[in-house]
Amino acid sequence: MCRGRMRKLKAAMAGATPAPPLSFTLTVPFPSCLEAQIAHDTLAPDAEPRRGGITKQLSVNRNILRVQWQADEARILRVSVSSFLDLLSLAIQTMDRFGPPLSEQ
Amino acid sequence: MTVVLGFEGSANKIGVGIVRDGTVLANPRRTYITPPGQGFQPSDTARHHRACVLDVLQEALQEAQITAQDIDCVAYTKGPGMGAPLLTVAIVARTVAQLWKKPLLGVNHCIGHIEMGRLITGAKNPTVLYVSGGNTQVIAYSEHRYRIFGETIDIAVGNCLDRFARVLKISNDPSPGYNIEQKAKKGTKFVELPYTVKGMDVSFSGILSYIEEAAHKMLLSGDCTPEDLCFSLQETLFSMLVEITERAMAHCGSQEVLIVGGVGCNVRLQEMMAIMCKERGARLFATDERFCIDNGAMIAQAGWEMFRSGQTTPLEQSWITQRYRTDEVEVTWRD
Repeated sequence: MCRGRMRKLKAAMAGATPAPPLSFTLTVPFPSCLEAQIAHDTLAPDAEPRRGGITKQLSVNRNILRVQWQADEARILRVSVSSFLDLLSLAIQTMDRFGPPLSEQ
Repeated sequence: MTVVLGFEGSANKIGVGIVRDGTVLANPRRTYITPPGQGFQPSDTARHHRACVLDVLQEALQEAQITAQDIDCVAYTKGPGMGAPLLTVAIVARTVAQLWKKPLLGVNHCIGHIEMGRLITGAKNPTVLYVSGGNTQVIAYSEHRYRIFGETIDIAVGNCLDRFARVLKISNDPSPGYNIEQKAKKGTKFVELPYTVKGMDVSFSGILSYIEEAAHKMLLSGDCTPEDLCFSLQETLFSMLVEITERAMAHCGSQEVLIVGGVGCNVRLQEMMAIMCKERGARLFATDERFCIDNGAMIAQAGWEMFRSGQTTPLEQSWITQRYRTDEVEVTWRD
């Protein structure tokens, strides 16, 4: 937390452009494209807080779910990634227990 | 036949209910209970819900003796409530809706309470007192909205009771409010407390501060017992609630009162409301802890009404929201 603030402060004091944001990328393979899509649609609706200093983007490529974060502070990034992993794990557990998905008819 | 599955987890209860055309087929629930003196924090509560939501879902399906195919719609609490617990439960609802190819429906938690109360009691068009740990509202229906006639301007009545229980280190099992109610029965001395009705609204935070301070002094000096304080607090808070409910009834010309929400299963509150109703020649409707306290069936029931009137929530609009007022919802299922 301190590091992020200090960095912002220093940047502001020097009148320089702020340092590039921190980023994190997660890729998760699923057994099928359908399951990857279900995970995506389950996890995508809730946006990060608008002025929270963080953005998150979800996408699906075949059976791979990809999530990309950009944040100003390491603390905020850590909290967001960690809570996302909890929810992802819950979605996967739900699929394991109440799946497999009915395929397109 | 329409079967709706409902998920609720906006506070410290996690429930899954199944309703088929006005019949509750199953309604299992678990409560996250904290040690005496402690409230429930969002992240711990979310962890609790994550750990047991799938078991509760399985239990509901088994008890109702239905399979995924029999379900027509998956309803979940969209808000209001604590963010992390709401989201946990929404994730499961969205996942199963997709696995089973069923439409999804985001339900306002307060509307869930009202519709469950109407279903169970058969009240047609009541003035509703909605009292819980997070909400305190007097509501009446008019022109496709549940309109808020009066509400708390600070904390909810249940929050006032819960936090007072923490001061006295009263157990949170099964709930702080229940334990206060039992203690209050043994109270003999009335300690005067501030009475803060402001027009149609009420305020509880000042009463809480006052009784917190008084508790330490008076208990130490032996001026009163914890039981006396529980009794006095209940009498004061509930008098205020009865007063604003009566005023709303007078405004609306209503002859029915329905009490919903977790505090609504307090028998003393029901007694006091019954006295007022008797004086006005009105009828009182209330339910017991199964349906008053947060549960999955109430979300399923509100979902049933909404789904039958043609509503569903597209996945991309299924975000949860911590703030979601009762009067934001257009009531499409009533005349």
